[in-house]
Amino acid sequence: MAEEKTALRSVGRPRSVEAAQASLALLLNLVRTGAATTRQELERRSELGRAVVADRLATMIDLGLLKEGELGQATGGRAPRQMQFRQDAGSLLVSAIDQSSIALGIADLNGQLLVEHHEAAQLDAGPEAILDRLATIFDWLLKETEKPAPWGIGLALPGPVEKPADSFEAVPVLQTVQSWQDFPFLERLSMRFGVPVFARSGVQTMTMGEAKAGGGRGLSDMIYVKLGRSISAGLISEGHLHRGAQGAAGMIGHSRVGEDLLEAVAGADAITREGLAAGEEGRSPYLAQTLERHGELSVVDIGHAAQLGDLFCVELLGRCGRLVGEALAPLTNLVNPSLIVIGGVVAESGGDSLLAGIREAVYRQSHPMVSRDLQIIRSQMGASSGLVGAAQVVVEELFAPAMLQGWIGQGSPLLHPDFQKSLERAAATLAVKASPAAGRVGP
Amino acid sequence: MNSQTPGKTREDIAMSIAGLGPHGERAVPADQIQLSATDAAEARARRFSVAVVLHTTTSDWSKQELAGIAATLGLHSAALVEVVDCNFDVELQIAVLNRLAVDPVDAVISIPIGNARVAAAHRALTQSGRKLVLLDNAPTGMLPGTDYASVVSTDNFGLGQSCASMLSAHIPAGGAAGILGYGIDFFATHEREIAFRKWMATHRPDVTLVRERFAELDGAGQAALAMVEKTPGLSGIFAVWDVPAMKAVRALAQGGIDIPMTTVDLGNEVALDMARHGMIKGVGAQMPYDQGCAAARVTLAALLGLPVPPWVALAGREVTPFDVVEAYQVIWHLPAPKAIIESSRASTASQDSHAGQ
Repeated sequence: MAEEKTALRSVGRPRSVEAAQASLALLLNLVRTGAATTRQELERRSELGRAVVADRLATMIDLGLLKEGELGQATGGRAPRQMQFRQDAGSLLVSAIDQSSIALGIADLNGQLLVEHHEAAQLDAGPEAILDRLATIFDWLLKETEKPAPWGIGLALPGPVEKPADSFEAVPVLQTVQSWQDFPFLERLSMRFGVPVFARSGVQTMTMGEAKAGGGRGLSDMIYVKLGRSISAGLISEGHLHRGAQGAAGMIGHSRVGEDLLEAVAGADAITREGLAAGEEGRSPYLAQTLERHGELSVVDIGHAAQLGDLFCVELLGRCGRLVGEALAPLTNLVNPSLIVIGGVVAESGGDSLLAGIREAVYRQSHPMVSRDLQIIRSQMGASSGLVGAAQVVVEELFAPAMLQGWIGQGSPLLHPDFQKSLERAAATLAVKASPAAGRVGP
Repeated sequence: MNSQTPGKTREDIAMSIAGLGPHGERAVPADQIQLSATDAAEARARRFSVAVVLHTTTSDWSKQELAGIAATLGLHSAALVEVVDCNFDVELQIAVLNRLAVDPVDAVISIPIGNARVAAAHRALTQSGRKLVLLDNAPTGMLPGTDYASVVSTDNFGLGQSCASMLSAHIPAGGAAGILGYGIDFFATHEREIAFRKWMATHRPDVTLVRERFAELDGAGQAALAMVEKTPGLSGIFAVWDVPAMKAVRALAQGGIDIPMTTVDLGNEVALDMARHGMIKGVGAQMPYDQGCAAARVTLAALLGLPVPPWVALAGREVTPFDVVEAYQVIWHLPAPKAIIESSRASTASQDSHAGQ
């Protein structure tokens, strides 16, 4: 139906279907990003004629991608009608899977998070259990909040994610965790919801989330550091996420500190281990007390103790901060960011002494010009940054000009011919293997 | 999940915190937020003014929450200068927050009513220089530090798990359990339902779950009846809080149906039903007085410029028909009403006499 309309409108005007789709894609992105919203602005920015712009806008209104909005500023004569992108034409499902928790949410097509949920989960429960949990909660959230049907899934994973050779091609995920090896996680998730899945490493999505909605809003060069059980970093350079040749950029936890890896001496596990020893030996009164009451300790307790002034914890987190800062300083000299955001569970709970340690090492070891206006702050987004970033990943993928031209004539990325083919491919591959157990209906 | 073994301390009976914060934060337990003697002295000297904005001030929960806030602020010479009842009206909450942003108050404790609709007004209050402490949840998109100081909440996820485990004892193998869910997009009831379902899926995969929703409280009774009619052999119901639970109890009783139920919060009616050994078999209760005290301490800490955790959580407390009187005292900081004490005695006496026969 939609295809027919586009075809009919195109008669005699554009030189080819590709040209029509290119102009549709160009205009949609101008409106969507707010670069141009009135017909006059669109004609000027796109360098397309008035009749072509009118025709393309009418097509996109028919397809449900655009709508007429408010009156804009008059520049002599009648006030122009502004075009608006229909961010509710579909929704985006987003999830961030971490070592000990999962986060899920629904975002609109502008990547704005509408609802989110976080819960504890163990990665070593295996991919089947995590997949089942994701599916049940997504189903429940979609039904419960009555959001539009999804157009895509954005996924943040706890480890590097390879770049696919083609769009819609699934990549193997989490090869480092034994139970996840060779499990078709992305294919299964894609088949389950009938939408494309785009995956990135957790730290890369968190970096994008911070850049879009956190401390890095409006900045073009920033570094995000995730301090958890592992330590990694993400880089936004000149407005773009740097993924690296294989997609594995940012694994700074693998730099050496003496004989050990950085994450083995400054990661959450190392901090907890030292805190536990200090609690047991009575070197930290606060931790000894917590240990006595609860029988266990976490990095959150250590962070809280530091905030309350427990000297052992202040010193411990300060030392970890300096070690992380020493790994960050060469990076800072290399890329000259205007902001470093520190996130992850250690940063959330570690507070001022951790931050002070990082600042001390980075400022001491950076070139004065690099550190002149450099800000080092703690993330305020928590795990939400992974969700916002995952939504941003899907938005960037679906609306990338080449991709957009492949589906805009049909009005939905789900009708992209390449995606349809990838679904068929996945169906054929998965059919060979044992069919999955039917999931429960509710979360 | 802790069972209530005689001789256990209060800390043992309290559930541990199972849920994560609005941004996936790990909880800092409310009892860890304390002011040092120096901080308390400074707070007293500065004589802060605080306003409280609630969805309603008429519920038992709200009254206890306010009592906790008022008492704790008072102890630190901080004045509770205004309490606003928004009567569940989003527009009213927005108007009040906009007014408070120019009124002479130092901090506001607020429970956001709608999700995204009230975010801008809350954000504007923080931008005006006043400290903002939220109860129960942060609207999606609001960030700690920038948009608010902290969220002080009960562990709703834990409450849902607790209700599932207590109801499970009444569901036979291969049986069916019902969820009486709230049809409005509300964070706390969402978390409870998700947790209830997760506990059942993990520990009782044999149980089939069915569900009815109510958008208005008056529809809860009908929804419960519909669920029982549609599901022959339904062995138990979880209602997401006490008021709809009691609507359901009344509607089911009128229809001559007796079915085990669990719910959240120990309202007076629920407590009486439990004391009579009625349909309510277990409650996961919030501790609103304690939550109020914690919210006040967090507010004072934020006003003093001390770092406060983004998510401060309180564990709930499991209540069974056998300890309803004692639980009432702990939760409401009041003696249980006479009717509850007498019903509880009568039920225990009748059980003892049955046991003796």
